[in-house]
Amino acid sequence: MRITVIQSTIIDAPIERVWAVLRDFNSHDQWHPAVAGSRMENDFAGDVVGGVRRFSLSDGSDFREQLLSHNDREYTLNYCILDSPLPLYDYMATIRLKPVTDTNQTFWIWRSQFRAPNDRATELENLVSRQIYEAGFRGLRTFLADQAAPARQPVPDMEATSLAAAAGGEHLPSRAVAAATAGGPEVLALSDVTIPAPGPQQVRIRQTAIAVNYLDLKQRRGIAAGFEFPGTPGMEGVGEIIDVGQQVNGLFPGDRVAYMNRTPGAYAEIRCIDADACLPLPDGVSDNDASTLLKGVTAALLLSRVFRAAPGATIMIQTVSGGVGHLLSQWAKSMDLTVMGTVSTAEKARFGRDCGCDYPIVVAEDSRLAADVMRITNGRGVDYWVHTSGARGLDTALACLSRCGHCAVIGDRDGQSIPLDLNVLKQRSLTVSTPICFDYLADRTYRQRLAHQLFTKIQNRTIIPAIESFPLSQAAEAHQRIESRRTMGAVVLTPGS
Amino acid sequence: MVKVYQSTVLNAPAERVWRDLRDFNGLASWHPLIVLSRIEKDHPADKVGCVRNFQLKDGSRIREQLLSLSDFDYTCTSAILDGPPDLSDHVAILRLFPVTEGNRCFIEWSAEFECPPQKAAELTETVGEGMIQTGLTALKKRYG
Repeated sequence: MRITVIQSTIIDAPIERVWAVLRDFNSHDQWHPAVAGSRMENDFAGDVVGGVRRFSLSDGSDFREQLLSHNDREYTLNYCILDSPLPLYDYMATIRLKPVTDTNQTFWIWRSQFRAPNDRATELENLVSRQIYEAGFRGLRTFLADQAAPARQPVPDMEATSLAAAAGGEHLPSRAVAAATAGGPEVLALSDVTIPAPGPQQVRIRQTAIAVNYLDLKQRRGIAAGFEFPGTPGMEGVGEIIDVGQQVNGLFPGDRVAYMNRTPGAYAEIRCIDADACLPLPDGVSDNDASTLLKGVTAALLLSRVFRAAPGATIMIQTVSGGVGHLLSQWAKSMDLTVMGTVSTAEKARFGRDCGCDYPIVVAEDSRLAADVMRITNGRGVDYWVHTSGARGLDTALACLSRCGHCAVIGDRDGQSIPLDLNVLKQRSLTVSTPICFDYLADRTYRQRLAHQLFTKIQNRTIIPAIESFPLSQAAEAHQRIESRRTMGAVVLTPGS
Repeated sequence: MVKVYQSTVLNAPAERVWRDLRDFNGLASWHPLIVLSRIEKDHPADKVGCVRNFQLKDGSRIREQLLSLSDFDYTCTSAILDGPPDLSDHVAILRLFPVTEGNRCFIEWSAEFECPPQKAAELTETVGEGMIQTGLTALKKRYG
C-alpha cells in the first residue's frame, strides 16, 4: 500500500538558524529524540549528496539512509532509506524550509512517500508521522532553545558588560599584537585597541586560540605580499562569536568557530572577520585543536588533491615534527602510506615516530639523506615529497623521487627564487608543484569538506594535534622559538591565559 | 529581474483560507488597497485566462490575468497586463501550505517583474510592502 505522509510546523527561529542544523544530514542524533546515534559512512560530510548515514534508534534498531539532493538556496534536502528493520519500502523523504518573512520564523515541511504491507500501513504511517516527524519538530525546538540559552558559567563583570555593549554593536576594548616595522621577533608588541562592530558580512569574535603559521613570521619580517606596517600578523584563529553583521546567515552569537583567511590580523583578543571564512566547530574538538585548521587542511589537500595519494605509496615529509608535518604524517599513516620524514634532532625523531612516521631521518647533511631514502625504498625512491626548505635541497628531493614521483614545494621560508631545470623532471616524468593552500580553498564547499574530514579525524583520535601554547603577550617568544627550530607540533597563542 | 517574497502564518486551516483566496475576483473584499474589482467579459473567476480589472484606493486601475489556479496545491498565478508605468512582465504567485501542527496555514506571496534599474528600489517597496505585505497583514487580521 502506497502511503504519503506530510507534516509541517512553524519553528520560532530564523530560517538560517534552523537550516544550519537540518542541512547537516548527520545531525539527527543531536536533536531528534528517537535517534540515539548517527554517523556518516566513509567519513562523508553531512552535506555531500550520495553520503550514507547510519542511524541507530533508541530502541536499538539500525537504519541506513542516503542523501539524494541538498540545496542551500532552496533550503531543501531529499533522502531515501537504503536499509531498515521495518517494512518501509521505496521510502523517499523531503525536508523543506521556507522563511516566514514577517515574524522571522521558519515554516518546515517534512514529507515522504513509501510502500508498506497492508496490514501494517496504519501502524507505519503513524510511526513516521508521529514518532519521527512530529517528535522531530519538538526535538529541534528544544535543541534550538537550548542553543539559544546555553548554560553559561558565571562571567566576570567586565565581560558581562562588554557582551552587553556588544549587543548594541558598540566598539569593544581589546588588545592586539602588532609589528611596528619589519624585523625580528622583538618588533612584536602588545597594545590596547578598540574593535568596531562587525561589517554587514562580518562576525566579531572573542578569540581563544590563535594559530602561529610560518606565513606570520614572513609577515613580520616584511617578506609577505600584502602585509603592511604597522600591522597585526596572523591568518587563523578560533573563538566565540560576540555579534554578527546584518547580512550574515547561519552564524549566531555564542557559536564556536574557526576561521582561516588571507587577511592578516589574527593576533588579537577580539577581531572582526568575514563570515564566509568561519566554520562552526563540532563538539569534541577543543579550541586549541581546532586552531590547527589551516595546517590540517593543508595536509588533507596535499594528500587528496595535490598528490592524489594512493594507499601503499611512500611519502617523504620534510620537517615531519613541524606544524603541518606532524598532522600530515598522522593523516598519511591513516591512509596506509609509508611515511618518511626529516628532523633535526633525535628528540624530534622520537616525536615524529609518535606521529606515525615510519622512518624519521635525522639530517646532518644532504648526501646522507639521499642515500638513506634510497636504502629505505630499495632504490626505488619516494612517490611524494613534501619540500619545505625552498631552493635548498630541492635537487636532493628530485633525485630521491621515484619514476613519476611528485614533489610539492610548500611554505618557502625565505621567499628567495627557486631555480628549476625542467629537463631534470623530463628524465623521469617528475612533477613539481607549488600548492598555496588558499588557492585550493576558494570553494566554500570544498573547504568545509576538508575541515569536516579534519575535525572527524580529531574527534575519533585518528589525528592528535601536538600543541605548544603561549599567552598572546608572548607572541615574540613564540616566533623566536619557531625560528630557533625548537618547537615540535603546532604553536598557538591563547589570549585568555 | 526584481524578485519580491513575503510570507506569514494565518490562524485558520488552509482549506478555509483557500475558499476566500481562490476567488480571483475577491481581492476587493479583503485587500485594503483595492476598492473595486470585476472580471472582464463575464468569465467565471476561476477560469484560467480570465482577466480581473480592479481599482486601487488612489484611483489607478490594474488589469491582471489568471495564469493558473490549483485547488490541489492551493496555488494561484497571475500576470499584470496593464498596470503601473515602468513595471513590466509582472508575474505573481500566491500559495498556501497547511501547517499540520496546529490548525493553521502558511501563506507565501511572491512576485517577479522587470523595471528600469533606477526604479527597482521604489517598485520593490511598492509591490513588496505596499501590495503584498499589506494584503498579508489584512489576511492575518481577518483570520486572527
